[in-house]
Amino acid sequence: MAMPDNPTVIGTPRQRVDGKAKVTGAAIYAADVKTDGIANAYLIQSTLASGRVIEIDQSQAEKMPGVFAILTQRNAPKLQPLPEELSANGLPGESRLPFQDDRVYYQGQHLGVVIAETFEQARDAAASVRVRYQPGELRTDLEGFAQQAIEPRLALGRIKLQDKRGDVDWVWANMPQDRLVDAVYSTPIENHNPIEPGAALAIWEDQDHLTLHVSTRGVDLTQRVLAAAFGLLIQNVRVICPFIGGHFGSKGFSWSYFIVAAAAARLINRPVRLVLTRSQMFDSMGQRARTVQSFGLAADETGKLAALKHSTLTHSSMVYQYTEPAGALTRLLYACPNIQINHRLVQLNYTTPCPMRAPGEAPGIFALESAMDELAIKLNLDPLELRLRNHADKDDSEQKPWSSKHLKECYDHGASKFGWSSRNPHPASARDKDGRLVGWGMATAIYPARQEPAAARITLANDGSVVVQSATHEAGTGTYTAMTQFVSENLGVPMEQVRFELGDTQFPHAPVNGGSFLTASVAPAVTAACNNLRDKLISLALDGPAAPFTGVARGDLVLADGRISTQKKSLPPMALADVLSKTNNQQLVAEGEAGPGDAYQKFAFYSFGAVFVEVRVDPDFGEVRVARVVGVYDVGKIINPMLARSQLLGGITFGIGMALMEGTIPDIPTGRIVNSNLSEYHVPVSTDVPPEFTIEFLDIPDPNMADSGARGLGEIGIVGTPAAVANAIYHATGKRIRDLPITPDKLVGV
Amino acid sequence: MNAFAYVRPKDLDSALSLIRSTPKARFLAGGTNLLDLWKMGVEQPDTLIDINRLGLSQIAELPDGGGLSIGALARNSDVATHSLVTERYPVLSQALLAGASPQLRNAATVGGNLMQRTRCYYFYDPNFPCCNKRDPGSGCGALNGFNRIHAILGQSDQCIATNPSDMCVALAALEAKIHITGPSGERVIAIADFHRLPGEQPELDTTLRPDELITAVDLPAPADTKHNLYLKIRDRSSFAFALVSAAIVLGIGEGQITSARIALGGVAHKPWRVPEAEAMLQGVKPDRATFEKVADRLLQGAHAYRYNQYKIPLARNVVVRGLLAASA
Repeated sequence: MAMPDNPTVIGTPRQRVDGKAKVTGAAIYAADVKTDGIANAYLIQSTLASGRVIEIDQSQAEKMPGVFAILTQRNAPKLQPLPEELSANGLPGESRLPFQDDRVYYQGQHLGVVIAETFEQARDAAASVRVRYQPGELRTDLEGFAQQAIEPRLALGRIKLQDKRGDVDWVWANMPQDRLVDAVYSTPIENHNPIEPGAALAIWEDQDHLTLHVSTRGVDLTQRVLAAAFGLLIQNVRVICPFIGGHFGSKGFSWSYFIVAAAAARLINRPVRLVLTRSQMFDSMGQRARTVQSFGLAADETGKLAALKHSTLTHSSMVYQYTEPAGALTRLLYACPNIQINHRLVQLNYTTPCPMRAPGEAPGIFALESAMDELAIKLNLDPLELRLRNHADKDDSEQKPWSSKHLKECYDHGASKFGWSSRNPHPASARDKDGRLVGWGMATAIYPARQEPAAARITLANDGSVVVQSATHEAGTGTYTAMTQFVSENLGVPMEQVRFELGDTQFPHAPVNGGSFLTASVAPAVTAACNNLRDKLISLALDGPAAPFTGVARGDLVLADGRISTQKKSLPPMALADVLSKTNNQQLVAEGEAGPGDAYQKFAFYSFGAVFVEVRVDPDFGEVRVARVVGVYDVGKIINPMLARSQLLGGITFGIGMALMEGTIPDIPTGRIVNSNLSEYHVPVSTDVPPEFTIEFLDIPDPNMADSGARGLGEIGIVGTPAAVANAIYHATGKRIRDLPITPDKLVGV
Repeated sequence: MNAFAYVRPKDLDSALSLIRSTPKARFLAGGTNLLDLWKMGVEQPDTLIDINRLGLSQIAELPDGGGLSIGALARNSDVATHSLVTERYPVLSQALLAGASPQLRNAATVGGNLMQRTRCYYFYDPNFPCCNKRDPGSGCGALNGFNRIHAILGQSDQCIATNPSDMCVALAALEAKIHITGPSGERVIAIADFHRLPGEQPELDTTLRPDELITAVDLPAPADTKHNLYLKIRDRSSFAFALVSAAIVLGIGEGQITSARIALGGVAHKPWRVPEAEAMLQGVKPDRATFEKVADRLLQGAHAYRYNQYKIPLARNVVVRGLLAASA
């Protein structure tokens, strides 16, 4: 790879290039798109968790003002089942297609849709629809149906859910009790709750051509789902999403509502908009399933882990078998010769779960890092010292070296910033001036890094503007900005001259936005496209009758400040636009592709971090406030320190929310969610964010990652934080809470 | 949300005659609770009588010298920050500021806050089949459901919902008087008699009749402006309803408690007061042991369910800490 000519853009703090558009309302989200003749749709949802629909009485709704049509199983188009690669069990999303049969599997399941002139008319009519059911067996109690659990092999088609090495049972049987931890940790159902709800606007140009404006983190995936379901040629489906108001794991995959929007638009031959309500965000676009995790840890006399067993009981819906892979990283976070992980899945009458904010890692590392804290206390070791003694020098699960790992530096740096060495090991030993108990806790953070195949196209116009396109996504995390930085750096053009375009299936392919791999996947494609463009541009400058730099050696041309220049000859620099004009070119186009190379077979790629937390616990009231957080992260090269910090700030705050307040609560007798709104489903408010918040990055490029050496940092913030908070609460109070969230009721009177 | 008629009367008489002629109408003040309930399908008025043109937003001293009259349409944020309130009734200001969010407080009114309905999940979502408050005779979904936020005092087997208001708890401790106008003229209800316990008729939150309108809330002159406070325990640091709260209004002279009123929120269908418990404080010196006995008396007869056991010790701790802080 040629060295960038303007190596000052990547790695420097840059404000969001789309920030102004967002705060002024100029950014157009899916629900904002306007076109002529839009009709609005409102879902008819099941109010029973299990059974069959006997009758949908829509007689009143049909007569209500503004109603165009009502779509149910009775008049729904026959949809084509999704192909295996979009529907295999264990993949996220719900591949069961809407309105194809009369079965009811969960509360809120889509049974029909009212299409009307206005949203309000559709909603009003939907409320008048009466559904008669024949109830079926109700399965809502995870523990109650545990004996019917299955043991799925893989999550997301690649994460091992059953694994063992060594002989855990032998160690367990022969280890003295005082070196064992045997405990059960649990995490509740959680919902993603992005601020922008799911929204779709479906427009059929004719019977064979569909355009969908939709809030999705997978335009290409959504295109494939729609093409398959409606039996369309893939190139005849266009999916557009230039902005996502957060997704946190929802909004990818196949979900009923956007298929319903497309079916509704086809039925009435008008564009149809379907926007989910907040309540529908709890039952129509996935959630994190509850986990009940049994943990066994055994340590030898030196504090080294001798055995580790981690068994997760969790649930999926009746129609799908996505498994929250809570035990996945237990296989490798610490060095341990004997490991057994297991996942048991119960199918229940709840909505289909899917990945959410570090799926598996967030609940799994909560359990593992809580158990490590308990082990440290049993062994009378400092929790940090226990982790150092069990540092994994390689990935024992796959027997691979780490691509790059600086976790010990995270521990050292974080401990020093936090002042960890002055920690009194005895719990309940410190109070603040208000009489609140003060506690310190820490945990390790880890998240896998990956690169997925991606492509980009770049166009330099003769006005000097550079447009780069890739079918990637902007979830609010900074894709527009980071990719603009890559283009600016690689072509030596100011960021202001670059426009990055994304979220359109007409652009070159990019992967879904997930797994914290967006930058690591898309940036190399953008860089490749830039390099190809630069080669073409230099050829124009050097070769041909009108070439302005004839006779200069190729390697002596430099691109900087939007100009091409050379030090070797006394030729004046020339703006890139002028190179095109002088050579009679309107524009110059190049494409680039990138994908995972051999390094992925050789190395284990993970980001790491260490998070230290101080809490204050009111012993009378059980109220916990996080007073201070220090997080130090080894995530490879940092592209934009300002946005990177923002992401970790958000991630750690998610972790605080997971620790202290988030939880979706189903009513066991009915299977209906009791708190499907943001008033009763608590996420942290600004005053829950700790007043002292230190986030640092080691900023060491991963030598084995493509391009810049950035590994990814989207989700690592939520990993570790919940355990650090729980461990700090133990240190503050002497009470171990193993069931999230740690609300006041669990701590009153500690 | 159903279609509806909208009217905006200019005076009280018109508003009252409108509500008489349209029994399925609802008064609209701030709308912060009504619109929510309407969208959920709990409320389905055929007519909205917007009373925001009626004035009724004064915050003024009463002629008795010392008392305060607060108009029913005074906004929660205006009341919370009014100097007469912050100086004489800090407990009320604190309670208001502990509730909702700035945006909601800017819209919400004192009268509307008095009429605020429970946050019981089973009441709020009509797709839950059982709720005697919403649908008399249908049962109580909370009794054997998720009852973490529910009542421990004064409940019946018909209903274990709680009143969610912070303001009402402070008003109870301040012994506010609710001024009401109806077809037979004006009447005044003591705050203690305004909200009711569920008993056999949980559908009735208050003793206000359907054709009456709250016009003002009067606060008696404070005995002591220093020794009162509002204490609220919640699941996050802001924008969450009280798990348990307490409004405490003490009079203290020469080191002795001369008067005491304690109202608890989050524990019952109405702000919870026990005069016998308050009487135990009369003439005593502030002291933790006494406060603990007072708390026990206040919570006498408390009964918890599967998920709200914590409320009994929490309420006890809130009372003791609140009394210690208020008397300091």
